[in-house]
Amino acid sequence: MKDISRGLAQRLLSDRKLSQLIVVAIVVFAAFGILVPDVFLTPRNFVSMAFQIPEIALLALGVMLAMLTAGIDLSVVSMSNLAALSTAYLMVTQVTEGGGNVYLWIVIAIAIGIVVGLISGLANGAIIAGIGVTPILATLATLTLYNGIAVGIRNGQSITGLPPEFVAIGNGSLLGIPIPMVILLVAGAGVALYINKTGLGMQSLLVGANRDAATYSAIGVKKVLLLTYALSGGLSALAGLIIASRSASANPDYGSSYLLLAIVIVVLGGVNPYGGFGTVTGVIIATGVLQMVSSGFNALRFSQFYYQLAQGVVLVAVMVLNIYLDKQRLKAKREKAPKKP
Amino acid sequence: MSYITPIAKRKGLQLWGSPNEIFLVIAIAVLSLVIGFSNSVFFSIATPFDLLRSSLIEILFALGLLIVLVSGGIDISFPIVGIFAGYTTVVVMLHYGLDTYSLWIPLVIAAVVGALLGSVNALLIAGFGLPTLIATLGTASIFRGFLLSYVGSAYIANIPLGLDQFATADLISVETATGTLARLHVLVIPTLILAIALAWMMRRTMFGRTIFAIGGSEESARRMGMNVRWTKARIYILVGALSGIAGIIYVSLQRVADPYALAGTELGIIAAVVLGGASIMGGYGTVTGTVLGVLLINLIKDNLILLGIPGSWQRAAIGLMLLIGVVSQAISDNRRLKQAGTVTGEDKP
Repeated sequence: MKDISRGLAQRLLSDRKLSQLIVVAIVVFAAFGILVPDVFLTPRNFVSMAFQIPEIALLALGVMLAMLTAGIDLSVVSMSNLAALSTAYLMVTQVTEGGGNVYLWIVIAIAIGIVVGLISGLANGAIIAGIGVTPILATLATLTLYNGIAVGIRNGQSITGLPPEFVAIGNGSLLGIPIPMVILLVAGAGVALYINKTGLGMQSLLVGANRDAATYSAIGVKKVLLLTYALSGGLSALAGLIIASRSASANPDYGSSYLLLAIVIVVLGGVNPYGGFGTVTGVIIATGVLQMVSSGFNALRFSQFYYQLAQGVVLVAVMVLNIYLDKQRLKAKREKAPKKP
Repeated sequence: MSYITPIAKRKGLQLWGSPNEIFLVIAIAVLSLVIGFSNSVFFSIATPFDLLRSSLIEILFALGLLIVLVSGGIDISFPIVGIFAGYTTVVVMLHYGLDTYSLWIPLVIAAVVGALLGSVNALLIAGFGLPTLIATLGTASIFRGFLLSYVGSAYIANIPLGLDQFATADLISVETATGTLARLHVLVIPTLILAIALAWMMRRTMFGRTIFAIGGSEESARRMGMNVRWTKARIYILVGALSGIAGIIYVSLQRVADPYALAGTELGIIAAVVLGGASIMGGYGTVTGTVLGVLLINLIKDNLILLGIPGSWQRAAIGLMLLIGVVSQAISDNRRLKQAGTVTGEDKP
């Protein structure tokens, strides 16, 4: 929230993107509110959106962390499914057969899921930072590898029948706020703190802004990259656990369309694809905007392919608009600046 | 790129004999022997014929992608462009009653549709200067959404006669010992001609040399007076047309126009091109390497069962193989750069 007030007060290029995004959000909201008020403007619609936003926002935050360092993480969806599958596997085998302490096993299974995400992310980081493989290629390979492992564990079948105590997490509410949303807000605040307040977080922005400069400034580029991709894996695992909990199942091929969506959100959220800049607030608002478009299209009874079309148009339009506005601003600056003697 | 590699050190301009290509040939040979000795079914004329057939479409796509990679860009949209062009061609031909035996009509329509879609990429990348990954991710989504919303979302089984007939046009068919027919598709010849033409274009024409120059260093190319924007625009239009042709041939070989097909194949083809030695950073890549890369991946894919890998672990095996591929590429790149004494930082890719 502090980001918003600061963005409106100061006229930094960065925060201008955020105010633009808020305008877009209001326009989208108003448009669907006028077009389909009886479906879109209902509490039920907002509650369902609040349940759907977190999983995709968490994946987008993972992509954002990688993009801040001028990299990209294509393996987020694979990592989330792998983590969800590991957790589900453990719960199904231990909770129902063992019949012991259900809550203990759920906590252990969740912890294992997150550890699986962190380790997969760490492996990405090791390949990228240690061996020097381009992030896009490294995560492209691990995307297939992690997906393949998830398929291999259970022969490509999904795991269903998760314990009701676990399912309650994803479908329950805390003080009227859906629990997945609470998880997202906590994780989002954590990521924001990491980027803005910790040394390593700031260094990750510097690595993205100018890698050579970062290297010569004695920033431990390798350490920063390792941590970045590990965190991306951890966030993906959280997303996977929320998905598993909400749907009471885990599937190795869930959400194949989420990768593009996550990248669209990150770019729409104002993260610089060349690295060095991005805000958590922007990413979360951008997720909201796209979720509104999705819900609005549903209300209008448009097919999912219109939504895919819209995602692409939004991505391209935002990029073109940003480039156009940057040029205009540069021009205005040049005209204003006093001529040098 | 912040480091400079002497042109002489780069093997990108020669067709044969780069260490990577020799490595690929050895890998293919060794693998074939291993598979063959573990299962003698492999040693049959049908094996290379089948391998070629399953690789031809990918080779066509991969050659287009190679040009993009050499120029320092990346394209995610090409399989969607391919199926968009292929499916639209079939729809248009059936709508206008062009159910002919002609092959030229569908090829031309598909190439034109592909080039049009490619020009959208060209406009965004060369015109507005969007990052290529983001731009083509966006257009892939737009093209697919448009295709399925407006052009059609139904399978078309009765494709035009010419395309249908082409599916079974065999160059050679030999009866094997087991009594089945081993067939070599006639498409091998046009693909070979196209590959040679592209190799020639990349090495001997002003356009091709400009692509390498842009991939090596865009700023240097600009300062040398090369028209970077126009070259980039031409690259994406050309790749669009190539993808369109690959798409219609895919439809022909499948004997069905399926608008959902090909989506998601881009990552595997990118991996094949990179395995073939093309640098994702641009400025380096060969046609021979690309073809070998596609063949190696398909050889493994087609024979995982013979290699003794259970069905459910096949995708993991492919992932592991891709990982080994990109890692060994990176290691050999690092070594080459170190030998050239041009590594400035500690973490150069």
